[in-house]
Amino acid sequence: MTGIKNITFTQWTGLAGRVVLGLVFAWAGFLKAVAPAEEFAYAIETYKLFPQWMTTLSALTVPWAEIYLGLLLAAGLFTRASAAAIGALMVFFQVLLAQAMIRGLPITSCGCFGTGKSNPIGVELALNFILLALAALAWFYGRDRFSLDRAIESLSQSAPRKEKP
Amino acid sequence: MRIPEIKDKRTLYRKLAAAAALVFLATLGTLLARHMNLGPARPAPDYRNFGPADAPIVIEEFTDFACPACRHAYSGLAEIEKTYPDKVRVIFKHYPLTNIHPWSVEAAVRADCAGRQGKFKEYAGLLFEKQNEWVMSREPQKKFDEYADKAGLDRAVLSACMDDPEIARQVTGDMAEGDMRGINATPTFFVNGKRAVGFGQLVDQVRPLIITLK
Repeated sequence: MTGIKNITFTQWTGLAGRVVLGLVFAWAGFLKAVAPAEEFAYAIETYKLFPQWMTTLSALTVPWAEIYLGLLLAAGLFTRASAAAIGALMVFFQVLLAQAMIRGLPITSCGCFGTGKSNPIGVELALNFILLALAALAWFYGRDRFSLDRAIESLSQSAPRKEKP
Repeated sequence: MRIPEIKDKRTLYRKLAAAAALVFLATLGTLLARHMNLGPARPAPDYRNFGPADAPIVIEEFTDFACPACRHAYSGLAEIEKTYPDKVRVIFKHYPLTNIHPWSVEAAVRADCAGRQGKFKEYAGLLFEKQNEWVMSREPQKKFDEYADKAGLDRAVLSACMDDPEIARQVTGDMAEGDMRGINATPTFFVNGKRAVGFGQLVDQVRPLIITLK
């Protein structure tokens, strides 16, 4: 078994990016999932982009997607797929925030972590770029160490197999 | 001889099983947290919070202005607040039973608009006190306006406030929170997070807390 000392710097950054981004995403989803969906729906409405049915549907589904993707990433399971999905969601959130900033919409809470007070949109945009960078780290280096992906792959390799005659 | 496809499939199935277990546990944990109200507290506007912020007993009150039991509880709770002003904090939340009380939502909206003018308690008190006058009425708006005058509200400001979608959102937000917390009767209280349905249960929960604080 490879020791901790043998872990390279890039592997550490990948691991940190994976775990931090995964937990941040799961926590953001959790805060929304344990609150009434109407609250998050209202936050989505303030972006003035979607019809009512889509707002309601998003308010009901996005928090759960964030929880599942965040935990999958933090655990290092389907690491690249979950990092890519989270990255895509982050890009989508960035577009939402940017258009709100350009249109000067009066958004008091971005809805990122439920409906509590949030930072100004510009700050949220900047923070999201950091999270996007973490998604990139997780994609490139996140699955190498302490990931369920690796653990399951080694288990499959070490398990005895029946050979065909 | 090793067949890579079979090896990959086995790994894939294992990963899928692990993902399914993770999703199952996350769903279970989140639903449990939701059921146990472990999420962050949803704040009420300042004018619906009464008593010191650091009071040892926090009572959240989900109530309907048209419900007779709520009227009784409201006056009882006012007595508790008066007797223990430094020990009790009351957070008022709307839970209008729209299926049986058609004017409850409007009453709640008007009370919140009165709150914006710093007169929530006065207006809420009148709504409860005069409940019999407007609950069964076909057009209670005249009565509501009378109470507004009696409470000393600015009617023009009040009517502008009632058109503000934010005020309606506050009421529907309370209702959604009540639904999520499994409220099916009014008044329902949460005393330091513990549920009490009706004024009797409220007193049963508050009394021992006050005794331990003495």
